[in-house]
Amino acid sequence: MTTTIGIDVGSGVIKTALFRVEGERSEWVARWDARIRQRDPYRLVDESVESVLRSAGLKRDRIDYIATTGEGESVQGATGHFYTMTTHARGALYLDPEARAVLDIGALNGRAIRIDERGKVLSYRMTSQCASGSGQFLENISRYLGISQDEIGTLSQQSKHPEKVSSICAVLAETDVINMVSRSIPPSDILRGIHESMAERLIKLLKSIDVRQGVVMMTGGLALDTGLVQAIQDGMDLQKMGTRVASHPDSLYAGAIGAALWGAFRHRKLQALGRLPSAS
Amino acid sequence: MGARPVQEIVAFCQEIFEDLHFAKAREWKAARPGRKVIGYMPVYVPREIVHAAGMLPLGILGGGADMEVIHGDAYYQSYICRIPRSTIELAITGKLDFVDGMMFPSICDVIRNLSGIWKLLFKDKYVRYFDAPQNFRDEVGGVFYANELRELREGLERLGGRTITDGEIRRSIAVYNENRRWVNRVYDFRAASPWKAPSAEVYLLMRAGMVLPPEEHTLLMREYLAAAEAVDRPMRDNCRVLLTGAFCEQPPLNLIKSLEISGCYIVDDDFMLVHRWLLEEVPVDGDPIWNLSRAFLRHSAQTAAKYEPDMAEKGSYLIDSIRRRGADGVIFAAPSFCDPALLDQPMMIRRLEALKIPYITLKYAENSGQMQPIREQSGTFADSIKLWSAS
Repeated sequence: MTTTIGIDVGSGVIKTALFRVEGERSEWVARWDARIRQRDPYRLVDESVESVLRSAGLKRDRIDYIATTGEGESVQGATGHFYTMTTHARGALYLDPEARAVLDIGALNGRAIRIDERGKVLSYRMTSQCASGSGQFLENISRYLGISQDEIGTLSQQSKHPEKVSSICAVLAETDVINMVSRSIPPSDILRGIHESMAERLIKLLKSIDVRQGVVMMTGGLALDTGLVQAIQDGMDLQKMGTRVASHPDSLYAGAIGAALWGAFRHRKLQALGRLPSAS
Repeated sequence: MGARPVQEIVAFCQEIFEDLHFAKAREWKAARPGRKVIGYMPVYVPREIVHAAGMLPLGILGGGADMEVIHGDAYYQSYICRIPRSTIELAITGKLDFVDGMMFPSICDVIRNLSGIWKLLFKDKYVRYFDAPQNFRDEVGGVFYANELRELREGLERLGGRTITDGEIRRSIAVYNENRRWVNRVYDFRAASPWKAPSAEVYLLMRAGMVLPPEEHTLLMREYLAAAEAVDRPMRDNCRVLLTGAFCEQPPLNLIKSLEISGCYIVDDDFMLVHRWLLEEVPVDGDPIWNLSRAFLRHSAQTAAKYEPDMAEKGSYLIDSIRRRGADGVIFAAPSFCDPALLDQPMMIRRLEALKIPYITLKYAENSGQMQPIREQSGTFADSIKLWSAS
């Protein structure tokens, strides 16, 4: 049995997952997540590791591999690091074995990833530097509208007349939204308009890497935004793509799950090669 | 120097690396009246002869990541690499005013042209375009190269106002043999335990050898090795890569750090090839000029910087290095617009693909600032090796 910890250091949230893996079976034993909110991310990482160890009733020396992902390359005490695409691909497959593509939308950018049945990344594309496809952008908009982030999805789905916003630039889009508020456009129509413009960009990303069928798993912070998920599915249907967008209550953890599972894979491989890192 | 900890040795090297006024070389020159400093550019010059003349060979590797180039851009077109511009900038802004002569090896047309620009700009300085043979037969390339070495010797004799004896060259050959032995020990140590000798540290250690006298550099390497061996550093699950193509314009230090942080242990490289150009010790008895010439012809690194007449042999040195160092893959890191590195690359890639050795290619300039795309590229490369190859 291999026991691993996966730590996903995102730009907004740190997610940590502890797994036990035996052959093809994997058991998710403990989890931890917290928003960074201007705190030292490395201290939060330490806190998260202590927390999952405590929950699992384990000491640190019982962990075979600590894998980081996201912006966690410099975390002290980690055995190895995997890149975001690699871990989200594996995490998506864990959450839905039918997944053949991933849409990872975090606080600062979005990625479309095409994968195979083993979780191998076949192709990927990121959003450009503009923030209008990111979680941070939606967070700003919810602040302008005076609503909580939890309300975004539900409100968006109540929209009757979506109001289109600029899909090119976050600054222009934010100006659009301010104008809409002053024109008394209901928040639900504004949010649906934003979701549609985000969906349009994300679908373009998926098409650019040749995703045209199968399950597209949403991961990252925006995976739980039901309004966005719906807008993406509607956009796919409109374009007759033959793809089904899926989300999971644990989508936020996809990176951490993937890191933990790849960590277990690496541990077994290195053990077989007789090359286990001393840190593990 | 005593037993300094690794961090202190690295900090010392970093200070030398960041100092574009070359204080250490200025101090060396000021320590005794009449001393002269001879600058040289990548990739290889016979430093033994400069050293034998009682002069300090000073490696000039451009202005690095932080120097703003203003004047230098006026001398070269926009499709030319950055090292000649920043080198001109160093000179025009007075940072090389203490340098008595410059040597420009025949690495490419750009550096050759730079030697011409230097002659026009600094008429009172000794300037030498140092040609290397493209024919490796003793009676052709050997004779030609020995003549080049003799001309260099005579030029330095005129500059220094004294004869350089064969005995002095032999002694300098011995000094550089010793220096090269320790350079190779550092490289061997890093290849065996890359987590104990991070590439950024090894790089800074070798950069110090561009400025310090070779005797002092040798002592520094001995000290570093002893200190690095004594430090307990955790080994990470990184892949092992060989980095090639960075033999002239140097990448920013952050790029080297980024590659390692992203999961790639660099187990061999071609930074500052001058330290490792000669693969075997140069004999210290007999005709020293002929010995240096033969060492160049017979025992020098087969890289992009050296013509390989036999196409079947092209890339064999790289393949041997991969095997000897146990590298899992190759990173081709070439400066933008670097003809020698970029023209060599397809030939190397053909050899790697035939052997199914994974590789990536990336380009940089000495002042590249955006490391995120490079980290992402090298990080996913490391992942693909760790997860989908036999390593």
